[in-house]
Amino acid sequence: MSNTSKQSGSLRRYILTRIALAVPMVLILLILVFVMMRVAPGDPISSSQGGKLNATELAARRHAAGFDAPLYQQFWDYLKSVVTLNFGTTFSDRRSVRDIIIENGGATLTLTAGALVFAAVIGIPVGLLAGRYRDRPVDVLSRLASTISYASPVFVTAPLLMLAFGTTSGQASPLIQLNVPTQTHILIVDAALDGDWDAVTDILQHLLLPSIALGLLIVGVFIRMIRINLIQSLQGDYIEAARARGVRERHVVARHGFRNALVPVITVLGLQVAMLLGGAVLTEKIFNWPGIGRQLIDYINQRDYVAVQGIVTVFALVVVVISLLIDFVNALIDPRVRY
Amino acid sequence: MPIPLVSVAVDADSTFRHVSKGIHWMSRNKRVVAAAAVAFLAVGAAACGGKKDNSSGNGGGGNGGGKGAVIVGTTDSVSSLDPAGAYDYGSWEIIDSVYQKVMHFPTGATTPAPDAAKSCSFTDPKTYSCQLQPGLVFSNGDPLTATSVKFTFDRMLKIAAPNGPSSLLANLDSTTTTGADQVVFHLKNPDSTFPSVLATDAGAIVDEKVFPADKLLDGSAVVGSGPYTLDKYTAKQQASLKANAKYKGTNKLNNSQVVLQYFSEASALKQAVKDGTVTAAFRSLSPTDTEDLKKTSGVQVLEGTGTEKRYMVFDAKVKPADQKAVRQAVAQVIDRAGIAKEAYDNTVAPLYSMVGNGIEGHTEAFKDKYGAPDTAKAKALLDAAGITTPVTLAYAWTPSHYGAASADEATTIKRQLEATGLFKVNLSNTEWQQYQKDEKSDTYASYMIGWYPDLPDPDNDVAPFLTKEPFLGTGYVNPQILDLLSKEQGTDDKTVRDQAFADIQKIVAEDVPIIPLWQGKQTVVIRDGVTGADKALDPTMFRFYELGTK
Repeated sequence: MSNTSKQSGSLRRYILTRIALAVPMVLILLILVFVMMRVAPGDPISSSQGGKLNATELAARRHAAGFDAPLYQQFWDYLKSVVTLNFGTTFSDRRSVRDIIIENGGATLTLTAGALVFAAVIGIPVGLLAGRYRDRPVDVLSRLASTISYASPVFVTAPLLMLAFGTTSGQASPLIQLNVPTQTHILIVDAALDGDWDAVTDILQHLLLPSIALGLLIVGVFIRMIRINLIQSLQGDYIEAARARGVRERHVVARHGFRNALVPVITVLGLQVAMLLGGAVLTEKIFNWPGIGRQLIDYINQRDYVAVQGIVTVFALVVVVISLLIDFVNALIDPRVRY
Repeated sequence: MPIPLVSVAVDADSTFRHVSKGIHWMSRNKRVVAAAAVAFLAVGAAACGGKKDNSSGNGGGGNGGGKGAVIVGTTDSVSSLDPAGAYDYGSWEIIDSVYQKVMHFPTGATTPAPDAAKSCSFTDPKTYSCQLQPGLVFSNGDPLTATSVKFTFDRMLKIAAPNGPSSLLANLDSTTTTGADQVVFHLKNPDSTFPSVLATDAGAIVDEKVFPADKLLDGSAVVGSGPYTLDKYTAKQQASLKANAKYKGTNKLNNSQVVLQYFSEASALKQAVKDGTVTAAFRSLSPTDTEDLKKTSGVQVLEGTGTEKRYMVFDAKVKPADQKAVRQAVAQVIDRAGIAKEAYDNTVAPLYSMVGNGIEGHTEAFKDKYGAPDTAKAKALLDAAGITTPVTLAYAWTPSHYGAASADEATTIKRQLEATGLFKVNLSNTEWQQYQKDEKSDTYASYMIGWYPDLPDPDNDVAPFLTKEPFLGTGYVNPQILDLLSKEQGTDDKTVRDQAFADIQKIVAEDVPIIPLWQGKQTVVIRDGVTGADKALDPTMFRFYELGTK
């Protein structure tokens, strides 16, 4: 057997192993979501009707809705819904969970993309400066900034941004697309396709602050990753060789050091998706952004089992799939990965 | 949680290969990034570019609003567009506009009148017969007949949706028809409130050719015979109601379209009014927001009688609330006007009876018995019962159901009671889900409860609290009250009913299982140019058809 076919065989085995390992992890997550929703006091019936119906009537409605069915039976129904990717219909407003994902997913995607753009626009240049001018004041300042960014959760930065700039930025005004026909469910794209540039401007205006709040969550990671990778790159033999050839320092940094420093960022970027999705939940709620996260909080408050289980499961699957993809890409492009 | 990182071992020999691959990868990636950047800049540039010639734009003009359209902002939410699955104000706002009922409450009235019916009457205490108007049709052209009405009520009871209003029809035994236009409702027990029940949205008539008989209708393609049709509905975002050309009811429409814009936060709704993004806002702005809007140019704030009520409830099974003298002493010193002012900026009005202001049978029972707050009288009540002061009283409230101001209400009550020197109040708060369990399981000596009646009948303000099995935990059952409830429910004689309610309110003021505190005012905020808001602000349901534009 040739070396190449040996390699491709082990790569296939590696991919299959990663997928197999993901299955129990997803299952554990499903159990956690299910149990947490049941352990918390209340249910969709008492949440919506508790203030006006007596105990007998509430019990009858719980029975009719199947909320008093044995937990294993409820869990089995939940598992079936996950396997068939038909997450059911919400109890509190009779929406298909699939529709929620489709209709509100675009907004979450837009916000996540905005946060990544912000993190890249700020994080990459600052990281490069810090790496280039190691231990100089700019490096110290950027490290300090990245530490603050690490240590500032969304529930702190988002309300502060809203308080400071909410009114002046127009963020406090509601985002309403009265006239944008739905085509892709991605607001900004739909508005652009419709040629409604007022709506596009409005959406961008409303996207700015939440993107910053969410982007701040990962900008520190960007700065530190770029900085450390640039420092390592600049110590490489090929950099010395370039300098020895008389290449100007600016070109050495830009063409050789910078390019290679960016490679690990791609991996990190994928892994930040989980953090961004988690942060998006709070960010959307605070900035009234119409994504899945805001819906999730509403449904949690209404104890809508179907909705919460469906949305959290989709979030989890997205993170797992992205993590798997990163592993696969790493395995393909990075010779240091052993499989 | 991301899955664990793949194991990475740094291999010095592979560094060059890694770098080469990295450079290659970057070159390709750079192109992608560059393309994305160009696209982003293009969008940004376009954003700064010309405005599409679209008169409705993004703001006040409204979606296809055109002439006579009104955009109403609200924080209400919709649970179902099918009447069999909706038992909340947000859903009923739409259902009331899209469907017709056998009876309805005309604007400004609390007594039901025929709507789809030409006439209705009790043929005996347990039989209610209605003659339908001729020639009624649904918005899709299907005829609305007695069969449609029978189908509607049979369906409601058969589905008995967990989130639906079938409990309002618990006393309905069966529905029969005679010919195409005669409907007869057979009741299990005499019930004078039944005509009012028919006028709630539990009685919204549906098209038997559109709605399934044994399950809720999915989607938003609902059909009714009401003043509007549901033109477009996007969950949690927007509902567009357009005038129904086939409507044959008595309500006169002052607009051609109402667009309901849903907000998740009251603060956003307030800002939308300020911006002019919505032309009217109804439910629910905080007292602070309302005060702010009162000072805003081009904005008017109108108030009307509301139906929301707030009570301080005692659990007679928990000490010290098990002693009548303690309950009476609290009733003697509580200052309702103080609560309305300090906690709610006078956006609510003091309430001295279980039967709400504006409802037939309303009395001022607590005011009549206790008069103005009086510490000396309260001390005398406690002394006479041999109770040592200060009395330690636990008072519970929930921060997650009755709005932000409920915290202020709880602290105001504590302050008032402790200021007398007769009480030491221990406040506690619990999240709504747990709170409901606790208040029903004799956990709290006293606690906060709110109430939205389903119908403007005094029975609905009293019976749910005082029956053998109330919806809340009071530990209080009074056979005399049960007799009076049975009496008023068994007759439609106004004099008899009024007397029964007067007696019930008197007993409640004496025994104090519950202290009525306040009744909410309804508030609608309108931009200049909107008309009819005063009429729209009806206690039974907000009347969209009354709104118009100059």
